[in-house]
Amino acid sequence: MRPLVVTVLMDLPPDTHYHAATIAALRHASEHAAIPIEIRVVPTDRIGDVDRLARDQAVVVGPGSPYRDPEAVHAAIRVARERGVPLVGT
Amino acid sequence: MLVEHARSLAGIADASHAEYGPGGTPVISLLSCSLQDQTIAVDFTPGSLLATLYGSPRSIERTACSYGLAPEVQSIAGAHGMRIAATDGTGEVRAIERVDHPFFVGTLYQPQLSSSRGAPHPVFVGLIDAALAASILA
Repeated sequence: MRPLVVTVLMDLPPDTHYHAATIAALRHASEHAAIPIEIRVVPTDRIGDVDRLARDQAVVVGPGSPYRDPEAVHAAIRVARERGVPLVGT
Repeated sequence: MLVEHARSLAGIADASHAEYGPGGTPVISLLSCSLQDQTIAVDFTPGSLLATLYGSPRSIERTACSYGLAPEVQSIAGAHGMRIAATDGTGEVRAIERVDHPFFVGTLYQPQLSSSRGAPHPVFVGLIDAALAASILA
């Protein structure tokens, strides 16, 4: 099966504990459920067209606020809320 | 998530997050007692999605939050389609979820900090299961 696309909105760089823990937690769940996923990490100032997120299968609003672009994060959350895209914010 | 909720649905157009400085109506404010690098017990609302996912009325969670829902606006977490999914020992809101959405969950704790390969965290398992369900329906 084609991997499900999970977009992670997160400014923290990959070498930080929270970034690594977030990616690892998604991998753990994917392996446990035997559901392949493709994780795309997008910094908040690179979100761009939020409508694109409606085509993803899940969105994670990652840790590490203050975000570089909080308004873009709000817009992304709104799209997920209105279009029924599974979302978790931690 | 709560700022977006407050602005779009709860009628607080200038809802703000105290972390970004003064101005607006802060719905997210500095906790009176920082939960930075703490372990807290959270109690799930019976009948909530989180209660189902955890399969338990209570969980011990790690948190790195210094901010939480402002005391003056705690009620918005249980209105306009949002439900309080978990509270902590002080009664403060620790998790929210939408009742009209397949999976829309916010935690004021960090479930990823207590996930492992042998014990994946229920919140992330729930997310991936919901993603699969959504992809089948799409």
